[in-house]
Amino acid sequence: MSAVIKFFSRTQGHKKLSFVDWIAYGYLFLGFLIIFLPVAWLLLNSIKSQFLLQKLDTNLLPLDYDRVVRATVFGPEGKEIFIIKDLPDWVIYWNELRDEDKKQKNDPEAFILKFDGNEYYALRTHLGLVSKHAKELIKNKNLPEWLIKYPSMFPNAKKDYDPDTYLKGLNEEEIRLLSEFLVLKPYKPNGFTSQILVSAINPDTQEIEEYSVNRINTNKETINARLISNPQGGIVKIPSNEIIVNKKLRPSWINYSDPLTNNVRGMNFDAIKCLNNSVFVTIVATIITVLINSMAAFALSKYRFNGQIIFFIIILATLMVPASVLIVGIFKMVSVTGLSGTLWGVIIPGAATPTGVFMLRQYMLTIPDELLEAARMDAASEWSIFWRIVFPLALPAIAVLAILSIIWRWNDLILPMIAVSTTKTAYTIQLCLLDFQGEYVAQEHYRLAMTVVSLIPTTLVFVFLQRYITTGIATTGMK
Amino acid sequence: MANLELIDVKKTYDKLQVIHGIDLEISDGEFCVLVGPSGCGKSTLLRMIAGLEAITEGKIVIDGKTVNNISAAKRGLAMVFQSYALYPHMSVRQNLAFGLENLKMKKDEIDERIMQAVKLLRIEDYLKRKPGQLSGGQRQRVAIGRAIVREPSIYLFDEPLSNLDAELRVATRVELKALHERLGNTMIYVTHDQVEAMTMADKIVVINEGIVEQVGSPLNLYNKPANIFVAGFIGSPRMNFLEFESLPNDIKSFAPSNSNVFGVRPEHLYIGNEHSLKLKIKNVEQLGSDSYLYGETVSNQNLSIKLNHQTDIKVNSEIDISFEKENAHWFNKDGISI
Ligand SMILES: Nc1ncnc2c1ncn2[C@@H]1O[C@H](COP(=O)(O)OP(=O)(O)OP(=O)(O)O)[C@@H](O)[C@H]1O
Ligand SMILES: [Mg+2]
Repeated sequence: MSAVIKFFSRTQGHKKLSFVDWIAYGYLFLGFLIIFLPVAWLLLNSIKSQFLLQKLDTNLLPLDYDRVVRATVFGPEGKEIFIIKDLPDWVIYWNELRDEDKKQKNDPEAFILKFDGNEYYALRTHLGLVSKHAKELIKNKNLPEWLIKYPSMFPNAKKDYDPDTYLKGLNEEEIRLLSEFLVLKPYKPNGFTSQILVSAINPDTQEIEEYSVNRINTNKETINARLISNPQGGIVKIPSNEIIVNKKLRPSWINYSDPLTNNVRGMNFDAIKCLNNSVFVTIVATIITVLINSMAAFALSKYRFNGQIIFFIIILATLMVPASVLIVGIFKMVSVTGLSGTLWGVIIPGAATPTGVFMLRQYMLTIPDELLEAARMDAASEWSIFWRIVFPLALPAIAVLAILSIIWRWNDLILPMIAVSTTKTAYTIQLCLLDFQGEYVAQEHYRLAMTVVSLIPTTLVFVFLQRYITTGIATTGMK
Repeated sequence: MANLELIDVKKTYDKLQVIHGIDLEISDGEFCVLVGPSGCGKSTLLRMIAGLEAITEGKIVIDGKTVNNISAAKRGLAMVFQSYALYPHMSVRQNLAFGLENLKMKKDEIDERIMQAVKLLRIEDYLKRKPGQLSGGQRQRVAIGRAIVREPSIYLFDEPLSNLDAELRVATRVELKALHERLGNTMIYVTHDQVEAMTMADKIVVINEGIVEQVGSPLNLYNKPANIFVAGFIGSPRMNFLEFESLPNDIKSFAPSNSNVFGVRPEHLYIGNEHSLKLKIKNVEQLGSDSYLYGETVSNQNLSIKLNHQTDIKVNSEIDISFEKENAHWFNKDGISI
């Protein structure tokens, strides 16, 4: 620690901070901010709840608001929008709960019995009881099995079935339940959204009243709000600087714990598997890359053979080819060789990199030939010259290559997409992250949290390997 | 222990011929010094013997076996490089052991050989250090040690002392000579310093522009140089050469026929007038024990004299100098001794 303080209190010669010192420290600080701020932003956002992220909340900290629930219920009379107040937290946060919390601490079946009418229907949908009850109904009444699958069928397939005929023998409540489950007109899945509860002066009555608000954007002068006492009265505009909001700090750790324990609703997200795949790809690919590149560089820098220059030029020329041009070629290669769907299909196409060969060759050129000749006089085989002389001496450059390779492999999306996008079990972490942005559900909160997790390994690698780069440069010396 | 034979060895680098056919025999246990001016091809020749450089034409024979196509690793020779070429990432110990490990030698034997070499060279204290933490002289000894542990049939040295300061160079020279006496191996030593050559060699090979000018013992080369080049190269300060035509008749009279150039060593000249040469003194250097005089003859040719005593001769004075007849060297038009 004192070393850090000493480092940061250094001045240029004189004791006092000079003009140059100010500029230097200012520059350092600016650079620090530019690099650090996006990371800090990512970290803080990764513990915001899904609700906050969907509301595009701009607070730095995960400050949660008091919430009310706005329900939309569809029925024969059209849709009704209303607000349910004073629900317990576990109901409001139902979608943000872990599975075991849902089951253990609460009893939704008993809870909804306290309500009736549209509030009952809204809560039944929200707490996930529609399909449960509908399935029980189908079973009890001996209705055909295909009804259970009907909601998830493609529209074309649905044409072959006619559920309406089975509704006839049922009572009104049962018809409603089955219709909601099967999404038959005039029913639709009921909407149930949390909204922010704010207090503001009602421009009509000049009294303080409660409003529900979809999102708070302080950049705008007015906010669209719905009066809680009269939700059917529609949207009113209230001045954004006069509202009173209750906030409390509520970090959402499930963003981390759910994906890491394979507990994400609606998908099979196995973070450990994804991370394992990525670690395997990164380590194996980096070892192979270092081997192939250093051997190629050794040959190009230390042997004289026909076509040496040509080879070197060809290798360098591949640098000019943009990676995106190669995608189709790589895809064909991978599928023809039967590597598609395996991690080797990710590893092998990128194993030799022209940049790596070039960098190592240039470094190896600085190793004096006399050392190799001395080794030859010492009866060393070419193989042991490479392993015992050239490789250790090129270690600084090899460390750089290894770091670049690790970072590239870990963050790579293109090769995994080409090689394993159809094989879920071979997904690397980057492909897995992509899964959170599905066609129907955007689970941005999980994605942010898992992005943070995926940053940890590369950061550690850099912290541990960077000293090789600096020590290496200083300690090559022959005479 | 081995003897070495070069038969009409030639070397060409992309059309540039550097070695023009060298025949040479070095017998077992000999200390042979290759000497010549910079760029004459000494290193190239040594590297061809070592196997580091391909042989364009000719044959290299070690102990009756032609080794042209045997790789450096298998020839069983050891070489000490001008830059030492110690492996910078290995400790002194590892440097010494590397060659033996490559030969798959047992660990105890490696240890034993290293201990012996280390004692001989007095580098026991540095075994754990890296080459970067040693002085020039210490590195030099490690480099020699790396050759010694191999117990090679022939040692090859490429100007091993040129990176040392004058004092250390003299000391190491003596040590190397003693080492040779003790080990009794064949050694081939490249240098462009003729003092090293004179003091260490059993046999000197004078090379100039890729050809052997003369082979012989140090004194033989000094007393009977085969040609002008060897005469000028061996001996310090350099031999004086004067045009035959410019000599006084008195001297011309005992010259052999066909003489074109007359040579006499500075240390063989003295002040006197038996075979008188007139000299105008341009510079005087007093070294205490010796004095060097530099002057010009009547025909404006430079001449230097080494006196083994102090002198009171002044610059611009004119003196008469003389020499013994048998110390005169005569060369014909082609520069060959007569
Ligand atoms: N790899 C090479 N390619 C072309 N020419 C070379 C090569 N190596 C050496 N030469 C040439 O061969 C000649 C002899 O070189 P060499 O190194 O044998 O000289 P040397 O006698 O050892 O000189 P020095 O005393 O300065 O070390 C030089 O003219 C040099 O330019
Ligand atoms: Mg040389």
